[in-house]
Amino acid sequence: MTATYRPAEPIWCAGCGHFGVEAALIAALADLDVPKEETLVLAGIGCSGTIQNNMGTYGYHALHGRVLPTATGSWEANPELTVIAAGGDGDGYAIGMGHLIHTFRRNPSITYIVMNNGIYGLTKGQNSPTRQGTAALDAALLGLSVLETTFIARGFTRAPDQLRRLTAAALTHARQGHGFAFLEVLSPCVTYNDTYPRWETEHIDLDADDTYDPTDRSSAFTRVVALEAEYRIPVGLIYHDPSAEPGSFPNPASADIDPVRNAEAYSGIIDRYRI
Amino acid sequence: MTRVLSDLNAMVAGQGGDGSLTVVTLLGNVLAGRGFHLYSTRNVASRIKGGPAAALVRGSIEPRTGMGDTLDVFVAFDTEAIELSGHRVAADGFVVYDSSAGPLPSGYLPDDVTVIEIPFGRLAVADLRRELYKNSLAFGVVSRILTFSDTEAASVLEARFASRPDLVERNLEALREGFTFADDHGFTQNAGPLRLTDTKHSDRILISGNHAAALGCLVAGVRFFAGYPITPATEVLEFMTRHIGSYGGVAIQAEDELAAVNMALGASLAGVRSLVATSGPGISLMQEGIGHAGAAELPLVVIDAQRAGPSTGMPTKSEQSDIGMLVHGGNGDFPRIVLAPGNPSDAFELAMTATNLAQAIQGPVYLMLDQAVSQDSATVPPFDVSNVEIDPGQRLTHDQLDTLDAYRRYAITDDGPSPLAVPGMPGGMGLVTGNEHDEWGKVSTDPVNRVAMMDKRARKIEAVLDEMPTGHRFGDPSAPVGIVGVGMESGVMREAAERLIATGTPIAGLQPRTIWPVPHETLAFLASKERVYVVEHNHEGQLAQILASVGRDCATVTSILKYDGLPFTPAELTTRIAEKEAAT
Ligand SMILES: Cc1ncc(C[n+]2csc(CCOP(=O)(O)OP(=O)(O)O)c2C)c(N)n1
Ligand code: SF4
Ligand SMILES: [Mg+2]
Repeated sequence: MTATYRPAEPIWCAGCGHFGVEAALIAALADLDVPKEETLVLAGIGCSGTIQNNMGTYGYHALHGRVLPTATGSWEANPELTVIAAGGDGDGYAIGMGHLIHTFRRNPSITYIVMNNGIYGLTKGQNSPTRQGTAALDAALLGLSVLETTFIARGFTRAPDQLRRLTAAALTHARQGHGFAFLEVLSPCVTYNDTYPRWETEHIDLDADDTYDPTDRSSAFTRVVALEAEYRIPVGLIYHDPSAEPGSFPNPASADIDPVRNAEAYSGIIDRYRI
Repeated sequence: MTRVLSDLNAMVAGQGGDGSLTVVTLLGNVLAGRGFHLYSTRNVASRIKGGPAAALVRGSIEPRTGMGDTLDVFVAFDTEAIELSGHRVAADGFVVYDSSAGPLPSGYLPDDVTVIEIPFGRLAVADLRRELYKNSLAFGVVSRILTFSDTEAASVLEARFASRPDLVERNLEALREGFTFADDHGFTQNAGPLRLTDTKHSDRILISGNHAAALGCLVAGVRFFAGYPITPATEVLEFMTRHIGSYGGVAIQAEDELAAVNMALGASLAGVRSLVATSGPGISLMQEGIGHAGAAELPLVVIDAQRAGPSTGMPTKSEQSDIGMLVHGGNGDFPRIVLAPGNPSDAFELAMTATNLAQAIQGPVYLMLDQAVSQDSATVPPFDVSNVEIDPGQRLTHDQLDTLDAYRRYAITDDGPSPLAVPGMPGGMGLVTGNEHDEWGKVSTDPVNRVAMMDKRARKIEAVLDEMPTGHRFGDPSAPVGIVGVGMESGVMREAAERLIATGTPIAGLQPRTIWPVPHETLAFLASKERVYVVEHNHEGQLAQILASVGRDCATVTSILKYDGLPFTPAELTTRIAEKEAAT
């Protein structure tokens, strides 16, 4: 067996929410028996953007804000991979926000985990677009407003079992080719913005609410707006498109690039220019 | 008296949407059928419809990549065309003017020009019910001026409308009406004032640099493309969108150039040969991503179809003012290669080389075009796809990976590149990052490791120096005076050199095709001359600066610059050099 890198020890402060995200991801990948060599974890830049070092899978450290287009490119190139994008709220909702909207729209079968702590951890505590919990900017609402969106969930690192379930559900959605699985995790930064106490009281579990129907986009939207008006943060499976079908995708990574076998076809293109 | 031409320059101008292109296409088809080389270019305003638009074609016995000095035949569909371009007509040239636009404006044409005034537009509407037929009418007159037989003209027209049988009859009618008018003006069949010299037809293709470059990348195995529309690079996006899917590949129109370059990096990470294409503003946005390709060691081909800058600049005008950005842009030091084709054959060949070199150096390779090379078309021998080489670089097979004790993504090697496994391969798991890293891909600021990694990356370039494309030579190799230029200067430099030599100024020419790293060949050329003129389309002499920064004997370099959005004419460049020579 060829030896590969030894997964790194997390570099996070004791108590950082990101530990919980990593634990849930490792557990969910194990629950689903995803082979490490078929898993590609791409991360943004931030404290959150070190998670890929700790996994033992293929790992990639994207540019700040660009983890979604990078992950989209990897998945388009080889849709047989389990492609997981991860990053912080600064990475995803500030510098990278444009890409999030277009990824909802494009709906590639990748999983995206945003570790929302309301601040920029790595650069030492500046405000992020979600500084007031989620009231300032809610990516779940944004996702609901894009008609192509197929999966939106929010977890909380204080609810590890649910987080593991939601992570597995997101991974399954993407791995089955149903589309883009978006999972935001309330993942407090204990050093610069300890939101544990607030989020403990503000979060509300939609999974525990029998009257909530996560397959109904418009009622989901109405409910999320209503909850946020009461300063509550909805957690759980927020929306899941029940009609999402597994797509069939080209696989450039296994395309035949042999020039001899392709010569005739290439000549056909050249013929179009004959004069 | 019939004048026999071995070099014909023609222009058709009117308003955008006028169909000016049609006349030029038809003319080009006759020229090509007769064995002439073609060069064709357009002159358009940067808007959708309307605004002055012109199509130009040059047919010549010698292959030329650029228009000649003056126009032999000029078809003008409106007064503005005469006002804008009348001065370009040769003194012994012919102007076909659409007088339905009003009386011929005076003072714009040389005195002795022959002008044929016919109300094409009005006639087309009156007799044929559609203004567009004026193009076939005009082609009828042009055919008679150039002494094409009526049957030759008709067959070219029929071939052109082969896919639209409903349009053939009306267009033929228009053509015949054109013949009648020519008769009225004394241009009878087989007795026109101009005639093409005889030459043999040979097998050629007419293709633009953008299409040739896109095709070269495809043939060399590119199976992922991401782009965002921008003049003058859009044809690469269009080509890939049209063709790559048939070869198992994917082309994506991204939301912006930041997304495009990072998508390509992601695809490259997954082991697929990846391409982006854009112009200056997009290259600016891609700088961070291209530097990332350098640091994280990801193969990437970047086509830059340069246009006049800075900022949004003049989108449809050619310039070479991104050279400095390509060579030095991005934060930090990282190895990159910049190749510059001068015509469609070069573009095809260098695109294949660039694709392989990107794999070999596991990093960014620029293919630097300019608007003229990108969008103008020229006839070249059909591309040979029977001998294409695909260099896998250090990409590991499953078996090779299995024989390794350990896989380190950034293993330090003698020649630089590290063995490469891609996601999906058991045992090949690695960490890829633009942070400085150790051999495993773990972030490291250790000073010894830092130096080792910087040096390793730099070594990758040294290892491929011998594979870099060599330049094209022309002129008199033993001359003490030299001329150097790339891209759109390639063709016009040759013509200027021919003229200078013919008038007693020996000059040696080099069109380097590798810009960065500056190859030994270029430095040796500079060192071997007393004086070298570096011809480029920018204000700062960017290429000359780079040569001066690397070459030791560059005190001899004199810049010949142009940045008005127009290409050099052969006469203009010849004069610019002759004046400098006279002053030395
Ligand atoms: C282009 C660019 N701008 C700025 C930075 C600096 N930077 C690094 S991480 C970061 C913010 C991280 O915040 P977040 O994404 O929320 O991650 P967290 O550390 O909170 O997990 C910034 C601004 C950068 N790396 N690149
Ligand atoms: S600074 Fe905050 S986000 Fe970063 S590791 Fe520490 S607790 Fe976590
Ligand atoms: Mg954050």
